[in-house]
Amino acid sequence: MRIMCTGRLDPAITARAFKKGLDGLLIIGCYFGDCHYISGNYQAKAKLDVARRLYEYVGMNPERLAFRQCSSGEASVFVKIVTEFTEKIKELGPLGAGGDRLESPLLIKKLETAEAVLAGEKIRWVIGKRAPFLKTGNMYGEVFTEHEFRRAADMIIVEETEVQEILAGLRDGARSVKDLAASFSMPVEKVFRHILALKRKGFVVPERIVGRSPLYTLAPKEV
Amino acid sequence: MPADKSDDIRIGVFICHCGSNIAGYLDMEALGTYAETLPNVAFVQRNLYTCSEGGINEIKKAIGQQNLNRVVVASCTPRTHEPLFRSSCGEAGLNPYLFEMVNIRDQCSWVHMQEKEEGTNKAKDLIRMGVAKAALLEPQKPIMSPVFPRALVIGGGISGMTAALALANRGYEVVIVEREGRLGGMLLDLNRLGPSMTDALQLAESTVKAVSCHPKITVFTGSRVTGVEGFIGKYSADIETPTGGKKIDLGVVIIATGARVFVPAGLYGYDAERVITQLEFEPRLKQGIDPSIKSVVMIQCVGARNEERPYCSRICCQTAVKNALLIKEKDPDTKVTILYRDMQMYGVENEEMFRESKAKGIRYVNYNPDRPPQVQAGSVLVYNALLGKDMELPAHMVVLSTPLLSREDSDEVGKLIRVPVDANGFFLEGHVKLKPLDFATDGVFLCGSARFPANIREAIAQGLGAASRASIPLSKGSVVVEPIISVLADMDACRGCGLCVALCPYGALEIQKTDKGRKVKVIDVACKGCGVCAATCYQHALTINSFTDNQIDAQIEAFLG
Amino acid sequence: MLDVGRHPNIKLLAYSEVEKVEGEEGAFKVTIRRKARYVDEDKCTGCGACKEKCPTVVPDAFNEGLGTRKAIYSLFAQGIPSTHTIDPAHCRQLNGKKCGICAKTCQAKAVNFDQKDRVVEIDVASIIIAAGYDVFDPSRISEYHYRDLPNVVTAIEFERLLSASGPTGGHLDRPSDRAFEAELAELGKKVEKAQKALEKYEEKYGASSSDFIMKYRSGDYGDDADKAKWAEKFEEFLPMHESLEAMKDKASGFSVAKRLAFVQCVGSRDFRFYPFCSGYCCMHSIKEAIIAHEHGPETTSTIFGMDIRAVGKGFEEYKIRGGNHSNITYVRGRVAEITEGQNHNPVITYEDTRERKVKSQEFDMVILATACAPTKGIIELSGKLGVELDKYNFIKTSPISPVDTSVPGVFVCGCAQAPMDVPESVAQASSAAARAAEIAFHYYSEKEKAVAC
Repeated sequence: MRIMCTGRLDPAITARAFKKGLDGLLIIGCYFGDCHYISGNYQAKAKLDVARRLYEYVGMNPERLAFRQCSSGEASVFVKIVTEFTEKIKELGPLGAGGDRLESPLLIKKLETAEAVLAGEKIRWVIGKRAPFLKTGNMYGEVFTEHEFRRAADMIIVEETEVQEILAGLRDGARSVKDLAASFSMPVEKVFRHILALKRKGFVVPERIVGRSPLYTLAPKEV
Repeated sequence: MPADKSDDIRIGVFICHCGSNIAGYLDMEALGTYAETLPNVAFVQRNLYTCSEGGINEIKKAIGQQNLNRVVVASCTPRTHEPLFRSSCGEAGLNPYLFEMVNIRDQCSWVHMQEKEEGTNKAKDLIRMGVAKAALLEPQKPIMSPVFPRALVIGGGISGMTAALALANRGYEVVIVEREGRLGGMLLDLNRLGPSMTDALQLAESTVKAVSCHPKITVFTGSRVTGVEGFIGKYSADIETPTGGKKIDLGVVIIATGARVFVPAGLYGYDAERVITQLEFEPRLKQGIDPSIKSVVMIQCVGARNEERPYCSRICCQTAVKNALLIKEKDPDTKVTILYRDMQMYGVENEEMFRESKAKGIRYVNYNPDRPPQVQAGSVLVYNALLGKDMELPAHMVVLSTPLLSREDSDEVGKLIRVPVDANGFFLEGHVKLKPLDFATDGVFLCGSARFPANIREAIAQGLGAASRASIPLSKGSVVVEPIISVLADMDACRGCGLCVALCPYGALEIQKTDKGRKVKVIDVACKGCGVCAATCYQHALTINSFTDNQIDAQIEAFLG
Repeated sequence: MLDVGRHPNIKLLAYSEVEKVEGEEGAFKVTIRRKARYVDEDKCTGCGACKEKCPTVVPDAFNEGLGTRKAIYSLFAQGIPSTHTIDPAHCRQLNGKKCGICAKTCQAKAVNFDQKDRVVEIDVASIIIAAGYDVFDPSRISEYHYRDLPNVVTAIEFERLLSASGPTGGHLDRPSDRAFEAELAELGKKVEKAQKALEKYEEKYGASSSDFIMKYRSGDYGDDADKAKWAEKFEEFLPMHESLEAMKDKASGFSVAKRLAFVQCVGSRDFRFYPFCSGYCCMHSIKEAIIAHEHGPETTSTIFGMDIRAVGKGFEEYKIRGGNHSNITYVRGRVAEITEGQNHNPVITYEDTRERKVKSQEFDMVILATACAPTKGIIELSGKLGVELDKYNFIKTSPISPVDTSVPGVFVCGCAQAPMDVPESVAQASSAAARAAEIAFHYYSEKEKAVAC
C-alpha cells in the first residue's frame, strides 16, 4: 500500500489492521536523513516503537509490526527485507494462534484497547515530544536519556491501557470500582485512582449508588 | 459525503500490459475478468500500453461513453506516470483527483516472474485495494497563490551575481545580500582562473560593475539575512544591514553562499610561509614568487578523501595544475612536482591543461594514502610505487591542495530557509541527478560552491541555471499546488493544542485565534502532504486529501477480503 | 520526456532535421525538414499491431543491435510521440516489393506510403544546441578485439543487458552463450522436424525407428524404396540428435556472467583517438558494477583505470561504497590487451602499476567504457548555424560564458559542448534556457528594457 511518507502512518491504523485480521504489517520508508519530507521517517519510527511496546504489553507479538528502511535504488535490500519479514510472519503463524502471548478472541479484544490507547491524547504527546525531550529537554529543561524516555513511555503505555480497559468496561453499563478491579484483575486502589482522574476530566460520572459503592458510567458525549 | 452512495459510483479500471513487462508474467485475462466483479466497477479495459497516446485516448473515451466518475489504472509506478493519468482524466472532464493508480509491475509482475498464479493473485489483491480506495476518493481543486515578483540572492560571489544579472535582465527585481563589505566572493582572493587563465579580479570587477548599476538589482553588502518567513511566492525576509534592519517581500530565494577553504593546521608541516595552501599561493603568484624558489612540490587531497571528509573536492587538481603552469610561465627552470592520488582532470579543458603541464615538464608522482608523503626541511619524501622506492624531492616551497568546505553557518542558513544540508554541510539539492539546482522545498534554488565545489565555468553555468529555475514561478506569476495536502477536516474537533504545529517539518501549520477559540490553520502552498500532522492529531481534526484514515482503512479491509 | 510532450509551450518536431538558419539574434528564421514517417502522426494510436505483422526483421539500434525490431517500429516503448515510423531502407513496400501488410493491419488507417518529406519554417529569437554525443566505436582499438570477442561489450550495450526491458530482461546472459542458445534453438527446430517425419514412418509401419534400423541394416527389407527413405532420414537424424543433446548439455552449464571487468578510457585520454577525458565513464562503470551486484550478489567487478575520477557530489562516497559493499576492486593501470581464454572467457592483460607487474586475469565478460565522441552530424549543423567548433568538434565556448557559442543568440548545453554527466547536463540545460530567455525578453517583451550603464 502506498502512502506518501511513513510519517502519515497513524499508529491507531496499525491496531485497526491487526484487529481486522492482519497477521503482519511491514512499513518501509527512506533512510534517516533521506526523508523526502525532511523528518517523517523519524516520526514514524517514534510512533511505531511505542506501538510495538504497547502490542507487547497487550499480548501480541511485536514482531508482527516492523519498520524497515531502504532507498528506491536498492532493489536487493528491498527484496531481502520483504523476504525476511514474510518468513518471520510465516513462522509466527496467524494472529493469536500460538505466535503471540494471548490467544485469538482475547487478543482481538485487547487490540481494541490498544487502538484506543494509540488514538489517545497522552500517547501522542509522548511520541510527538520524543525528539525535543531527548535533545533540548522538557519545559523544565530536563533532558531525558533514551532509557529514561522509554521508561516514561512504558509507564504511560501501562496506565493508558488500564484507563482504556476501564472505559471499555463501562461501555455496556454502570459498574463499581470493585467490580471493575475484579474483572481486570487490577488492584482496587489503582482502579479507584483512574476512575477519580476520569471523573475529574469529565469522562465518567457516578450514575447511582448500589449498597455502599457508587456505580460509574460513561459521561454523555458533548455535542 | 457523496462517496457513500455506492450506486452512484462508476469506476473504470484500466489494466496495462506494459508490453510484456506485466502481460508476460501475469494472467491478464483473469485480472480483467476479476476486476469486473469488484464493487462499483462499471468498466474494465486492458491496454498494451495504457500510457501511450492510444491508451490515454481510450481512458478519455471511456470516461465520456461509460459515464465513469472514478478511474483506476493498474500498471507501473505512480512516480513516473501518475501525473500523466491524472491530467488525462482532467482533460476528459473528470476531476483529476478521482484517479487512483495501482502498481502491478514493479513489486508484482517483476518480482513474481516465475510464479504466474501467485503474481496474478497478488495483482488481484492490489486492484481490489485500489478500487476500494477509489470509491472513497473525493474531488480536489488545485491551490493557487500569487508570486511576488522579486528574488533574493544570498551571497554576492560570481555565481550569485550571475544569477542576479540573469533574472534582472529579464525584468525581475533582485536583492543581493552579501555578508562581506564588497561583492565578488572568492574571486577577490584569486589570481588567474583556469583553463583560460582569465584574470579573476578583472572578471569580478566587471561583473560587480554590471550588478551595481543594474536598475533592477539592489545590493546589501556587509549584511545578513536573519529571518525568512513564508513560502514560495510570499516570502518576507529580515535583513540586517549596516544602516539598520530591513524587511522585504519576495517570491523566490537563491542560495549562493559559496564555500571556504580548509586550513590544514598540523598537516604536512603547514606553516603558512614555506608550506602554504593553494589559496595562499594565489596572491604570491600574482605578485611574483621569490626568484630563489627553484623547486615546488604540491600535495593533493590534503584533508580530503579521508574518513573525516570523505568527499573529493572536485576542483583542487585543476587549481594545482593551473598554478603549476603559472610557475612554469614565470620561470621554466623551476621544478614543479605534484603528488596526487587520482588526477581529477575531468572533461576536455582540464585534461588539455593536464597534458600541457606534462609537456612543460611538470612532474606527477602518484602516492598511496596509506603511505603519505613526508615534508622535511627543504625536501619532500614520497614513496613512488612505479619505481618501487622512496624519492626525495627538493622543495623550496610546498603547496597543499586543500578541499573547499561548506560555510560554517550553512546549517543555520538552511534552518532559516527550511532547506537541508548534506553530511558535509553542503546544501542538499532536490534530486542529485534531476534537480541539481532546486530544493525539495519549492521556491528556493541553489548554485555555485554552496552546492558543491565548482570551478568558474560551473559556478557561472549554475548561476544562470538557478536563475532559470527561479524564473519559472516568477514568470508564471502564481503557483499552483497539488491539493494532496493536509486539511482541517473537522474544525470543531481541533483544540488548538499545537502538537501538529510543533511536528510539521515545513512550517506549514500555524495556530490562529478564531471566534471558536484557538484553531490550527494549514498554509496550503507550504504543505507537501507528508501526513505527520494527520497521524498525530488525537482529535482526528486534520486529515490528508486522498490519504484519509477512511481510505487507508478501506484499503486494508479490501486486502483482508 | 512526458512533460515535454505535454507542455503547452513546447512544440515537438520529432524525426526532423534543421535545413537552414538565417537571420540573427532575436530574429532567426529556421527551415526544418520533417522527414516522412509514412505513418500519419495524428491517426496513429501507437497500438503496435502493425509491427506485430510486419514480416521484415531488422537489428534494433535502440538495443544496441542486441535485439531486433521490425521495418515499421517505434524507437522504444515509452517514446514521445508514441507514433510509429516506417524505416524506408528496409520496408519491402517502399523498396518496390509487394507487401503493405501494415497498412492492411492498421485499424486507424494511419499508414501512408505516399507521405513525403515536408519543409517548415519557424521564427525564433534564440537557438539552443543540445545535439548530444556519439559513442566511440571501440573496434578501432585493435588490441581490445571488440568485434572478435563476443563477451567484450560496450558500456551502453551492457546497460541494455542490465535493463529489465532490454533484450535479456535484465539477466546478465553472456553474448557468446546467447549466440550458442540461438544456434541450439535452430538445431532443436530441425531435430523436431526430423522427428515428426520419423514418427510418420513409425506409425505407418508400426515399429520404432531404432528397431527398424537394426533390421534394415541387416538387409531385411531388400530394396523397398520407402524403407530406404526412412532409413536415410533416421541416419540423418541420429548425428543431429546427438549433437543437439551435447549442445543442450553444454548450455545447461551456462550461467550469468559473474566475473566482470570494466576497462576505462577506451578511446578517451588516448592520443590515437580522443586525448580528452570523457568525464562520466568512471562513474557509470561504478554504477553498472553496483547494479550488476544487485542483480546477483555473487558478482565481482574489477575496474581498470588510470585515475578514478569520482569528482561529483557524493561520487567519491559512492565509489567507496561500491568497493565495500558491491565487490568492486579498483585496479590502477591501463589494459594492454584483451584476448580469449576457454569458454569464450575474455582475458585481460594489464600492468599493475602499484606492484610493477604485468598480469593477466580471466573474466566472464568485459565492459568497455567508451569515449564520448562528438556527434557526427555536428559539423554539418554547426556549419548551418555558423557556430565555431573546438579542435575535437565540440561546440566552442568560453569558461566565463559557458553556454554562449560564437554566434550571438545561439546557445549550447550538454555533451554537445563537452562530455558531462547527468546533473551537469541538467544544470547546463537550465543555464542555456536562462540565456535564451534573456534574448527573447529583450526582443519580445513590451516591458522596459534593462539599461546597462
